[in-house]
Amino acid sequence: MLVAGAMLTGCATSASVTVDTNRFPTVVSQPRDISAAIVMDHEFRNFQALPLEKVDITFGAAQVDLWTKAFDGLFDDVQIVNSKAEAPPGTDLVIIPSVQEVQLSTPNQSYLNVYEVWIKYRLDIETADGVPIDSWFLPAYGKTPDSVMLSRTRAIEGATVVALRDAGAKLLLDFYRIPAVHVWIEQRQQVGP
Amino acid sequence: MSFSRIVMLLASASLCACASTTTIDDYRPTTELIEIQSHEKVAVLGRRDAGHYETDTGFIECLGNQLDGSHFDVVPEQAFIDALYPWFEPRTAPKGIKRLRNLMSDPVVKAKVAQENIRYLVWLDGEVESAGHAGTMSCGIGPTGGGCFGYASWDKNVFFEAVVWDLADLTEEARIRVDSEGTSYVIGIVAPIPLLSPVKSQACEGMGAKLRSYFAKEVG
Repeated sequence: MLVAGAMLTGCATSASVTVDTNRFPTVVSQPRDISAAIVMDHEFRNFQALPLEKVDITFGAAQVDLWTKAFDGLFDDVQIVNSKAEAPPGTDLVIIPSVQEVQLSTPNQSYLNVYEVWIKYRLDIETADGVPIDSWFLPAYGKTPDSVMLSRTRAIEGATVVALRDAGAKLLLDFYRIPAVHVWIEQRQQVGP
Repeated sequence: MSFSRIVMLLASASLCACASTTTIDDYRPTTELIEIQSHEKVAVLGRRDAGHYETDTGFIECLGNQLDGSHFDVVPEQAFIDALYPWFEPRTAPKGIKRLRNLMSDPVVKAKVAQENIRYLVWLDGEVESAGHAGTMSCGIGPTGGGCFGYASWDKNVFFEAVVWDLADLTEEARIRVDSEGTSYVIGIVAPIPLLSPVKSQACEGMGAKLRSYFAKEVG
């Protein structure tokens, strides 16, 4: 019975994964002289994805950690708030990140020896007055080098961490290249802050 | 099969299994040794941008260990990537000297590299491939015991390329390619006996020795 039980457990495909915080380094970047309020609501802070049946990945706390560090590399002054109403006076930009979709690919599905995670974020970028600047979709991808010797849980966590790091990298690389943001910065420079 | 034939098969297979061929090609723009101060460090990184493979992490560690015995320190791959996050992630890592110069023109990145005392970067790209599987082996278990009988072999090909970048002068200092191939066997005579060809370790040792030979013993 013990052997049968162990075999059944071994074949089970369920996994409940929680990504640890403090998995992300501080960024090497010169922030610009902009004050931004980043709205991270309760759902974002406690986000749990269900990419497959019987698989859940909780990475709310981890993504708060990642985005806080990444935005610190973009803006001189970053305030993390729960809602738009909490944006402090003097804020230039309000950014509301949200998770649109999470996908997971396992070796059982892909016949590759890796776990892969895709996360699609949306960043709603507004002025402090609530005028929309852009809604920017940010896709991120992560995979394990290989899944040999890794438990299913550790492999999914590893791939999620790589995907979150990729999201931070894309934000820092491309945020100021968003045409609407570029135009907003030019207008701001002309008018003055 | 008589006992003497089995012994002969084992002995010949052992001899063959140890055989592997390793070829090292290198290119340097100059014959002068690469200067490195004792406080300066070398980082060994693997390429991660190819879709179908990632540079073998075991090989990266092995090469780091090969270089770590020199008079300079080697920065572990993850420590370097974390220290310069996000500029050496798969999405952002510079693929050529031109992109490296662009990256290092950012004063914040340049200051961080200087703060970490990292002078040279060794980019590794390559993989280990197995092919040519042959033979069969059967294993069984019964009331009186179990065992394997048969023979299996496969070829292992290893290729890696290392490119050395100088992070101070922003130049390419060297390029080394190592190819290694060999055949591994498993012979099943009750217990399976693996006779593995050490292609990866030989490629690593060869590349490590070549890289070490480029660096001046001590300067300043």
